[in-house]
Amino acid sequence: MIVDVKSTVLPKILVFSTDSISDPGIDLAGASHMDYSTGAMVISVPCSSGIHPGWILHALKNGFDGVFIAADGTDCPFLEDCTARTGNIVAAAQALLKENGIDPMRLKMAAICSVCSESFVSHVEKFNSVLLKLEA
Amino acid sequence: MESAVTLADMGFDVALVEKEASIGGKMILLSKVFPTLDCSSCISTPKMAAVANHPRITLFTYSNVKSVKRDAHGFRVRVVSRNSYVDPQKCTGCSQCETVCTVARPDQFNDGMIARRAIYIPFPQSVPKKAVIEKKGLSPCSQACPAGIRAHGIVSLARAGKFREAAKRHLEDSPFPAALSCLCYAPCENRCTKGKTKKGAPIPIKGVSSLMANGYYGSNDQVAIKTAPDAPEKRVAVMDAGPAGLSAAYHLALNGYEVTVFTKDSAPGGILAEGVPEAGLSRELVAREIDNVIGAGVIIDTDTSMTPEEAGRRGFAAALAPVPWNPDLVMDPVVKDGIVTYPELVDRPYLLAHAIGWGRRAAVMVQALVEKRNSEDALVLVPALKREKIPAKDPHYTVATKLSEENVQEAVSGCLDCGVCSECRQCVEVCPGGAIDLAMKPSTCEIDTDSVVLATGFRLFDPARKPLLGYSRYPNVITAMQMDRLLAPTRPYNALLRPSDGKIPGNIAFVLCTGSRDVNAGNPRCSRICCMYSIKQAQLIMGALPISEVTIYYIDIRAFGKGYDEFFQQAEGMGTHFVKGKVVRVEEVKDQNLRVHFEDMEGKGGLRQANHDLVVLSVGAISNPGIVKVLGDDRVEQDELSYIREVDGTVEPGRTSVDGIFVAGAASGPKDIPDSVVHAGAASAQAASYLIRTGALK
Repeated sequence: MIVDVKSTVLPKILVFSTDSISDPGIDLAGASHMDYSTGAMVISVPCSSGIHPGWILHALKNGFDGVFIAADGTDCPFLEDCTARTGNIVAAAQALLKENGIDPMRLKMAAICSVCSESFVSHVEKFNSVLLKLEA
Repeated sequence: MESAVTLADMGFDVALVEKEASIGGKMILLSKVFPTLDCSSCISTPKMAAVANHPRITLFTYSNVKSVKRDAHGFRVRVVSRNSYVDPQKCTGCSQCETVCTVARPDQFNDGMIARRAIYIPFPQSVPKKAVIEKKGLSPCSQACPAGIRAHGIVSLARAGKFREAAKRHLEDSPFPAALSCLCYAPCENRCTKGKTKKGAPIPIKGVSSLMANGYYGSNDQVAIKTAPDAPEKRVAVMDAGPAGLSAAYHLALNGYEVTVFTKDSAPGGILAEGVPEAGLSRELVAREIDNVIGAGVIIDTDTSMTPEEAGRRGFAAALAPVPWNPDLVMDPVVKDGIVTYPELVDRPYLLAHAIGWGRRAAVMVQALVEKRNSEDALVLVPALKREKIPAKDPHYTVATKLSEENVQEAVSGCLDCGVCSECRQCVEVCPGGAIDLAMKPSTCEIDTDSVVLATGFRLFDPARKPLLGYSRYPNVITAMQMDRLLAPTRPYNALLRPSDGKIPGNIAFVLCTGSRDVNAGNPRCSRICCMYSIKQAQLIMGALPISEVTIYYIDIRAFGKGYDEFFQQAEGMGTHFVKGKVVRVEEVKDQNLRVHFEDMEGKGGLRQANHDLVVLSVGAISNPGIVKVLGDDRVEQDELSYIREVDGTVEPGRTSVDGIFVAGAASGPKDIPDSVVHAGAASAQAASYLIRTGALK
């Protein structure tokens, strides 16, 4: 049997989730047996506003095809301005990616709530398509 | 949660005690909130995380308040943290334990509609996200075993098809699984609760053990021999190569002791050496089981006489020896002058389990002797048996039920999991953090507080108390809480299905005022939430199943809050049928559909009937007064329905009849979510005012 190697290679996506809000939502996607790319790998952090732009550059330089920040949005239990802070980090990271010749579309951010399993799956699938187009 | 966060934000140190393994109460389990249809979990989780992360809040989950006593400084609160058998510092919430657990229980967070495991994380959004084990002592079968073998663990592993793991689990407790399955008089089966039920036969534990042991030896005919450890300070001489001596030697070797078994005979095994043909135990099988002992690193010195005195001279740290059986003998190992003695079986192979148990207990005593520590905790593993529990000689061996792997699961599927956790230890093996400790004990702490806030919420009426409505008799009669779970984002079936056959219900009825506004049910008061949550569920059902028919049988629709009436009208506009009528009876008809008999109050009058696929009972709220009992001398006053009475709810909400104790939320009477939050804020303000007035805040 001839296996089409290209079609079996999935973009590797690093997902930053948050301990209290988005990680339970992502966990729920798994617990509900929802289907999403096996290339997505999740690291949980306490709050998305603590993510360093350098980590994103490091991930994309070392084998990941995309980074998805599953932020808390207005649900953050720590900071009222978490969305703005995380937004600034994303802007700084995108600038850093440009400087290093990496397409800023490889970084995506969206708010994922504690039960947003369907929304998470949809975001990952769309991001997957974007990354596949970038590879083409 | 609201009271705790509000008081902590004001600068007070707060201890929050929750009886479940996660905070969040009933709200985290709901689908949406009325009338805004906002996601309930999305509102709850940030608040739960805020509680868990607040530097001024100490959270006690899976804990109960045992007593509240007033002292010179305020109150002394005794909190007992129930035994979760999981170290929360080490548990990462990875759920791997749940995937290997062999015991299933109804999931209380899904109102019993699906199963969870005996070890479980309450739900994906739980705070803290830590596993807990539900364990109710030892199951009778495990407790009855004189050898301390966890029979329930063997059964639950066999039920899961894990025969190899079952054999390994047995070998942790005894080196003689096959001999036991032939010789033992099976007190485990005698104690099996299943055998005590009507028409119930006990679980064939001997048959399961026989299949397990023979299957294991079939694929593991050779034992990997472990080298005897070089531990001069832990050298033990065993002057008995019979089952008790070998059992003691085996357990000592597994615990890192250098053990030598001395026997005058030319081969080990004692009364088992030649097998017991009349019980089906062959000499070869015995030899294979003795290999288990040798494999553990035990040295067996045959054709050698040894006395405890000689052992002492040769530098052994302790010695074990049997003493001749006599009717007055203590039926338990005895420690004296560095020697542990136990009864000798002589011609009683049917007492093999006792001999193995004595060996285990003797090993624990030796360890305590050598390591100079107390043996009581470890001896709990194999409890001593009373003399009267030891049967008189019975030469007739009961033959184990012959089972094949195909039918064993059917035979063990009836196990009632009496103690819940079976101690199969699969979770212990798989836990990457080493967090699980089945010997853990509950912990108690005392907290000195200046004030107490009671926020114990409400209970839902149990509709089984109204048998005419069919709940618990007909699978398609469910409660509104179950319907909320079916509609929630964390729903059990990932779709709105009816329980009996998994069919999508096309015609759903709601029966309002089930257990509220009902003198016969003991609750004459309106619960304030049922009308609105039913209307909410009707709207959500019509969103999820656009072609479904939803009928709400009501006495009055009480839509009294901001936006509530508009919400009611919106449901009417969407096509929900509102029928003013008291439902008197629900009966099951063809295909497990349901016929609702109701008194038509608005139409033509009289008794009428209607058929539905699914009936939802909108159960009322009732008081949850358990906490009042722990208050002792400071028992707060309760109203006629046992809710905590506020001395003046109009001008001083949250104040109880006892100075320093306040009530928040639905513990003082049924309330919807916004009212509960407002009331919690008021109770917090009352508590803060009291603390400042009494000088507690410095």
